[in-house]
Amino acid sequence: MRTLPLKYLALLGYLVFLAFPLVWLASTALKTPREMASLHPTWIPRHPTLANFGEAFHEQNLTQSAGNSLLVALTAAVLTVLLALPAAYALVRFSSVLNKLALGWVLVSQVFPFVLVIIPLFLILKQLDLVNTRGGLILVYLTFNLPFALWMLQGYVRGVPRELEEAASVDGAGRLRILRTVVAPLLAPGVVATFLFAFISSWNEFMFALVLLKDPDLATLPLTLVRFKGADGVARLGPLAAAALLATVPSLALFAVIQRRLTTGLLAGAVKG
Amino acid sequence: MQRRTLLAAVPAALAAVGTAGCSSGDSDGPVTLRFLSLAWQKDSIAANKKLVAAWNAKHPDITVKYVQGSWDNVHDQLVTAFEGGDAPDVIHDESPDIAGFAAQNYLQDMTDLLPSALKSDISQQSWDTVTFAGGGIYGVPFLQESQIFVANRKLLTQAKVRIPTVDAPWSWDEYAEVCRKLTVKGKQYGVAWPLSAPVNKVLNLSLNFGGTFFGTSGGKTTVHVGDNERQVLQRIHAQLWTDHSADPATVGMKGADPLPAYFAGKYAMVPAGVYFRQQVVQGAPKGFDWVTIPPLKGTSQHQGATSQTLSIPADGEHQKEAMQFIAFLLNGTNQATLALGDWLVPTSRKAATDPRLTTTKDDWNVATASQKDLVVAPYLKVDGFDEWKTKVATPAMQQYFNNKISLDALADKLVSDGNDVLKRYQK
Amino acid sequence: MSATTATVAAGRKSRHRNGFQPASLGLLAPALLPVLVLSVAPLLYGIYLGFTDARAGRNMPVHVTGFRNYVELFGDADFWGSFRVGLIWAASVTALQFVAALGLALLLNQKLRGRWLARTLTLVPWAMPPVVVGLMWRLVYHPQAGILNSTLADLHLISTPVDWLNDFTLALPAVIAVGVWSGMPQTTITLLAGLQAVPAELTEASIVDGASAWQRFRAVTWPALRPVVTAITALDFIWNINQFGLVYVLTQGGPGGQTRLPMLFAYEEAFRYGFFGYAASLGVAIVVVVLVILAFYLRRMLKEAV
Repeated sequence: MRTLPLKYLALLGYLVFLAFPLVWLASTALKTPREMASLHPTWIPRHPTLANFGEAFHEQNLTQSAGNSLLVALTAAVLTVLLALPAAYALVRFSSVLNKLALGWVLVSQVFPFVLVIIPLFLILKQLDLVNTRGGLILVYLTFNLPFALWMLQGYVRGVPRELEEAASVDGAGRLRILRTVVAPLLAPGVVATFLFAFISSWNEFMFALVLLKDPDLATLPLTLVRFKGADGVARLGPLAAAALLATVPSLALFAVIQRRLTTGLLAGAVKG
Repeated sequence: MQRRTLLAAVPAALAAVGTAGCSSGDSDGPVTLRFLSLAWQKDSIAANKKLVAAWNAKHPDITVKYVQGSWDNVHDQLVTAFEGGDAPDVIHDESPDIAGFAAQNYLQDMTDLLPSALKSDISQQSWDTVTFAGGGIYGVPFLQESQIFVANRKLLTQAKVRIPTVDAPWSWDEYAEVCRKLTVKGKQYGVAWPLSAPVNKVLNLSLNFGGTFFGTSGGKTTVHVGDNERQVLQRIHAQLWTDHSADPATVGMKGADPLPAYFAGKYAMVPAGVYFRQQVVQGAPKGFDWVTIPPLKGTSQHQGATSQTLSIPADGEHQKEAMQFIAFLLNGTNQATLALGDWLVPTSRKAATDPRLTTTKDDWNVATASQKDLVVAPYLKVDGFDEWKTKVATPAMQQYFNNKISLDALADKLVSDGNDVLKRYQK
Repeated sequence: MSATTATVAAGRKSRHRNGFQPASLGLLAPALLPVLVLSVAPLLYGIYLGFTDARAGRNMPVHVTGFRNYVELFGDADFWGSFRVGLIWAASVTALQFVAALGLALLLNQKLRGRWLARTLTLVPWAMPPVVVGLMWRLVYHPQAGILNSTLADLHLISTPVDWLNDFTLALPAVIAVGVWSGMPQTTITLLAGLQAVPAELTEASIVDGASAWQRFRAVTWPALRPVVTAITALDFIWNINQFGLVYVLTQGGPGGQTRLPMLFAYEEAFRYGFFGYAASLGVAIVVVVLVILAFYLRRMLKEAV
């Protein structure tokens, strides 16, 4: 009991460390260029302004990029889960050889530098006529989310005891019904966790979106963010911060809503993984 | 079944999203050009967009699509685009970068495409910055940067220092003396030297004393660091560590980092490119009195310069139309508009006479006049310069300016390590 | 379950395994296809490039040069430098991340007020695009207008401004701090989930037995947590050694290569100087090294768990 205030203090310390850049971002977004050139930075702007938001929105069509990011990230995340789930199930239930191979692949693909596969990947997409399309980008995100999604989901599937399925089938239920009524509810937290991971990875990705998308109408949020930077470290910090806030808030909101499910979800996967 | 619908759904989803994003293909009739622009300042973006709209209104059969890139990422974007055969039709970049692409044969030699009006409007010195790989012209230079100082006029007049003009600039010696006068121990420094990216700056300024650093003999390019090359290096070092008229804490800073202290009166002067005036105008507190110091004079006022360029890809399908657009965008009047937007110096002789660029407001007259002393930067023609800069020169110069190694040690590194790097490109 | 039922169930199990083999391929195919085309193919191509002299350029001829790139790599001081930096970085960030995240996870596992808000804020670093993270921290570390120096000065901890990202000795630690910050969410949440999986009965039993918090941790919590720890630290290590975007925005590998991680080195070789073949061989070298390290690490952790 005596340690309680200490615990709160420690927690506060952690949270300050983790959240202060977000506060600083918000503070910067509200400052005029004049104030940002001041020698004594302040947390609370002395002359707050909303001009940066207006500038960022008008000039770079942020709403459109946000929409693009949302479309791409959501579709990629949904597809990732839809494809990874049956695959994870098959790997765990039916073949241990393939399972080991798949997990080995997960490791290797995580280690090999993405930077080096960008060009061959681009060439392949060109062959498929998917350059400069959001569909191509979704496909790439899907591919690169799959290994980790597989790894997570196969852990959760392992967490569902085989006996449960056996028992249900003894009771006369068909395979599909078993999957729907017995397995699926237990996998729900894992699915949520995997979805979230895939969404955030896709939402934040920059490099491949940069090389694949040419049309300004198709640009995702990270691409519009770098447009506020000039050369030699000079940048329009105000609009950049405003746009950056917009890029951060959706993920955060999604987290706030799902986070309880997240912890219970990761539990089985991590332990069994 | 779950599986079948899945398999059907995926390509359908991709197709739906994919076609939604596809750009309209071009046919034999109307042509669409993609113009990759690196404008990022508010005024500059507005100027570019306006000019594109003006073109589109007059040329319904050649539509130009404005695509904004970013300076930090344009190189990567272009590498992939070139290797993938998918480059924009009009490419905005800068000459050091296109030097590499020209050597890799990705850019179109424009010698035969250039209209004579455009060619004669731009000086030979500027054309030199885009001539590579056996004499071809690989871009149209349109904006250049000269190295000046922005000074706190109040501090200068208080110290009763002569403020230089275009016709009567400071020599390096006079400048060093001024800095000493403006240094008040514990309160104020004569100058800040943001040198986290020292190489281009030092090499450009060294031409004041004829220091070229690179020489070609027998087809091979090598590095040399003689007396001429040592001048600027030594003088900056002296200000930092002998005169103590420059703040050593600024050595690791990037270009705009000293601004807050400059506005607060801690630094009387900050060296920068002419574009820096915009930063000053935007960020200065009310009533801040500033002035632009014209380029210094060594044995001459020559400075090395690169240029911002517009190029056409070698594999581009609509090269003639692209050239037409470039000629429009870079004619005298429009170049003046673009220069205004970016606070840089135009290469067009006609633009240099534009009243907007010769006014004394914001010292435009000083900036525009500095163009005459620009010569092509020697390092532009060196294959492997980027690697030399990143791996050898930048760390070595940073160490020198931080007073960790001597000038001789620096020269040694630049030459011996440098020549090793250059060998890689001479195979 | 009685013995008979168990045998019957086992029998049915093996029949199911044999009977469902073709169906499993159907479940795997949708995931397998994009992976083969878009992940395996480029990867194999990348590995192949490591054995060639491929360079950027229009219609540039490519020759197979065998192991020449690897030989050159072996003698490249910059490669070993980046390798050293990469190992220091990955080890430090992984270890610090783990310790910090464990502490936070332990705190979040307690029934403290405002847990919902605390957990949401924990995820801030993950929610920020790496571009934003880099830019924000550059501002924080700014020698004169940065909030770090001004706070430290206000607390009288420093007298002159420190140039964090440009000092030859301070740059790597400063960047490591950002690495820890940005990786904490994933590790914290994973550890928290692991903590919540610790069987409540065991914890309660040990409290009844009069064990102190530390003893409880050692005897009950840690053994249950161990598999999670192994998994997340291994994965963290891989992600960290592969870090590119964050450090690139922060320092571009400077000053003087002090923060040039292996991936930055590969990126420079490929994209800036155009030596695709050489860069590819670097990529393969890193993969081999990481896999070897992981093999040792995992074997040790798994052995101890038994």
